[in-house]
Amino acid sequence: MNFTFLNGAFLFAALAALLPLLIHLISRRRVSTVDFSSLRFLKELERKRIRRVRLRQILLLIVRSLIILAAALALARPTLKGTLAGGGAHARTSVAIVVDDSASMTRAPGGGDLLSEARAAAREIAGLLDDGDQAFLVAAGDPARAVLGEGTFSPDVLLEAVNAMEARDVGTDYSGAVDLALGLLGASRNLNRELYVLGDLQRTGWTRPAGDSSSQGVGVPEGGTEARGSDDGPRAYLLPFDGPTANLGLSSVDVERKHGGTAGLFSVTARVSSYDRRSGEVLVKLFVDGEQAGQAGINVERGASAVARFAVTVDESEWHEGWVELPPDALDADNRCFFVIPAARLTEVLLVRPDLAQGLDDADYIERALDPTTERRKFSVSVVPMNALSHQDDDRFPVVILADVGRLDDDAERWVRRHVVDGGGVFIVLGNRTDVRFWNAGLLPEVVGVEIRAPVERPEGVRIAPALQGHPLLDGLVFGERLIDDMVVRRAFDVRAASVEEVLELPGIGPALVLSRTVAGGAASDPALPRGEVAVLMTGIDPSWNDLPRSGFIVPLMHRLVERLSRASSRPASATVGEDLVAWLGESPAGRVEVDTPGGRTLTAELRPTGAPSAAVERVAERGIYRFHAGGRTAALGAVNVDPGESDLAAANRDEIEEFLSPLPQTFIERGARLEDEVLQARYGRELWRAFLYIALALLAVEMYLARPRFG
Amino acid sequence: MPDESYRRFLDPAVVSKLATMELRARLVVEGFVTGMHRSPYKGFSVEFAEHRQYMPGDALKHIDWKVYAKTDRFYIKEYEEETNLRGYILLDASRSMEYGSEDVSKLEYSRYLSAALIYLMLKQQDSVGLMVFDEAVREFIAPRSSPTQLHTLLAALDRAEASAETDIGVVLHELARRVRRRGLIILVSDLLDDPARVLPGLKHFRHLKHEVIVFHVLDPKEAEFRFETDATFRDMETGELMTTEPFSIRGDYVDAVERWKTTLKRECAESRIDYVPVLTSTPYDRALFSYLEKRKRLG
Repeated sequence: MNFTFLNGAFLFAALAALLPLLIHLISRRRVSTVDFSSLRFLKELERKRIRRVRLRQILLLIVRSLIILAAALALARPTLKGTLAGGGAHARTSVAIVVDDSASMTRAPGGGDLLSEARAAAREIAGLLDDGDQAFLVAAGDPARAVLGEGTFSPDVLLEAVNAMEARDVGTDYSGAVDLALGLLGASRNLNRELYVLGDLQRTGWTRPAGDSSSQGVGVPEGGTEARGSDDGPRAYLLPFDGPTANLGLSSVDVERKHGGTAGLFSVTARVSSYDRRSGEVLVKLFVDGEQAGQAGINVERGASAVARFAVTVDESEWHEGWVELPPDALDADNRCFFVIPAARLTEVLLVRPDLAQGLDDADYIERALDPTTERRKFSVSVVPMNALSHQDDDRFPVVILADVGRLDDDAERWVRRHVVDGGGVFIVLGNRTDVRFWNAGLLPEVVGVEIRAPVERPEGVRIAPALQGHPLLDGLVFGERLIDDMVVRRAFDVRAASVEEVLELPGIGPALVLSRTVAGGAASDPALPRGEVAVLMTGIDPSWNDLPRSGFIVPLMHRLVERLSRASSRPASATVGEDLVAWLGESPAGRVEVDTPGGRTLTAELRPTGAPSAAVERVAERGIYRFHAGGRTAALGAVNVDPGESDLAAANRDEIEEFLSPLPQTFIERGARLEDEVLQARYGRELWRAFLYIALALLAVEMYLARPRFG
Repeated sequence: MPDESYRRFLDPAVVSKLATMELRARLVVEGFVTGMHRSPYKGFSVEFAEHRQYMPGDALKHIDWKVYAKTDRFYIKEYEEETNLRGYILLDASRSMEYGSEDVSKLEYSRYLSAALIYLMLKQQDSVGLMVFDEAVREFIAPRSSPTQLHTLLAALDRAEASAETDIGVVLHELARRVRRRGLIILVSDLLDDPARVLPGLKHFRHLKHEVIVFHVLDPKEAEFRFETDATFRDMETGELMTTEPFSIRGDYVDAVERWKTTLKRECAESRIDYVPVLTSTPYDRALFSYLEKRKRLG
């Protein structure tokens, strides 16, 4: 037995029941005093008649208060839920149907796919609706979205929306969908509120903590968490649709340029994951520009991942597209993973040198290292004095090198901070001019996460080859040559690091090179935007500090560092279906940027105003390659794949789901069970507003009788 | 058709605006049949009425010596009195008489009524006196029929102001002791006192063979209690307060007032006292004439 109010806000109107009392008190105060010849007769009446009048006044006061109270209660829609309310009474019902339209619902265990079964169940639910019942429809593909967010009272509209639902190449977001549906039900004022979850109940869809709703709903009201937590909250019905769970999926495909070898040589690394599938060999195929470019057989253990590596040589001056493919299995959407090989671009480098430099200094060595010959130039180096830094075009230079500039003036410091926040790379070379107090005052602790102290001296020199060998920054570099092996570092700033990503540490000296993503704000708050990387070389490029100026090692070191620092702005665009696809264009487009989708449509990309020139397609809907055109040429390619989380087809444990939906009462309805029997036995109750209205009317009649004028 | 334009001045509200009490009284009385009325008393005036046997205590000067000479018995000569009615106007000037729901208070109305009666009686060569009282006698003017009496009495009426509570019973008994000669006692009052105290006073007069007329003056609101909104009523005599809902108790109030008036009327009738209820909303010439006509009819 449960008594509740569907329009609880109107309970405040019950306070108006005090109005007659207030009016009575106020009018008592305002009653006029009349001189009268004698109270002789009034006194005679007082004993009987006046006492009756007072009693009648009190009765009227009570009746009038009760009229207002009953009317307020009627407006608040009191309801009685439970067996005493009368079995079979159908109180109005709001239902929110969550249908999983993710890629995993394309599985077809018995001929028809799982989504078809879910749609059939949704139609059955629609058949249980009566006049006045309200229905919402939510799609659980990631991100969850409200298909009928405003709700409908027409079963036909609901059926039409259900029938129009198609599986999408997206992951699953049951958590967001349930929050969204509960929010919609929370705004509903019907007595019965029911949440239906129709899908494969994939475990990966229940990951978001309860209440953390970031779903993209239409007209989503607040109150989902409230609805979940209240005693008279919705009842949840879960209709699981099981399918085969043995599956292989491509988790990722990484494309990396191979250094030191043939021009245009790229490595393609595909990671294959096995979910609930027996161990065995798998044939992985590579396709580039529509043609098969390789295949590899790899052994994938059950529940583990394996990597298939390919090498491919392409024309560096052009963009290339491709995919890695697995044999067909339970889920097709994750058997093909698209990738892009970007066209080589000339990287613009801004080299900042001290204002009053004399003779050869760090900047000279760096400039020559970046462009040792005039052939196959990869970098375009612009050298400016420090005091000209703040006048430079931030968008033009993916990488800025501060070559022993000592310190920065305020404008230059702001410029550098903005540059890294916008996704640019910064290479700081410390040296003879370094003002330790300046760098420790803000830039290094705040942007890089380190502080420096006085240099550590090692006059005998520390060989760096053992520390460099195998470092990812120098992958592919051939050690064993004299120039590298014999190179020593004699001096480097002592470093205290708080949080850095990569450190090249020398024994006896400490970190000689620090690489860190910027920890500054701005872009860090938007995961769609890159965060610039900052590298700090703790030893100056000077013979008194180390052998770099006279070592050939400076060339690969500078090249790798600059390539690494420009990575954020040169990495090809990639996203999963449902995310925004952001492509970095290299230079600002003259006009609008158009995008050809895999399905053959042409969209206009949104130009992002921040940082390096970029264009975006919001919430991409298809897997495949997206081509960005600007000024009549291909500006970029982007690869869109299915969420790798979708490859894990295992359903969530029911205990986990129950915990997630707690404290909602939950019912799992198995395939073949009669939905009607399960649902209707709980859908009863009685609204009492009409009874309260009749009470108010009856009291009104009593009031009119009591208040009628009496002269006899 | 008689000219009745003067009647517009007889509206209490209009008359109250007239300059002098004399004019007001004249307006009321002029035009009325001022015919002579026989005195019920016999005295020693001009016109012989009859002889009666001498009784010890009679003045010797009234003995008819001629009859004694003839019959050897003492006889007294009696004469008919024609114009020597001694009237007493008893005006209640207690504070309750000050009540008036409209333009005129009961006291104001009673003064006009009294003035009219005085003028009327003096016009008939009767002697008229006045007593103004509340809880005690405030002013007493002995009856006379001299021409100056009119001004004396009207001036006394003008001076009459409400001042204290009513105690009619005590006052009536006191006056009954003062007035030795039989006459006409006219009481003008709202009688808002305990009937058990008022009626014995009136009967006292009757016991002394006086003729008694009671003009019971009430304001319409006192009779009908037509107040529209809730109000706190303050007793004009005692200052006592009482809050009530008039429209709810009106019926019972009117019943109580009617019962009170009926009691007074019945008791007066039993004692052969003329009881004349008057509302201040009624032009008092009409009330007065109506009463006098009725009295004339009844002889």
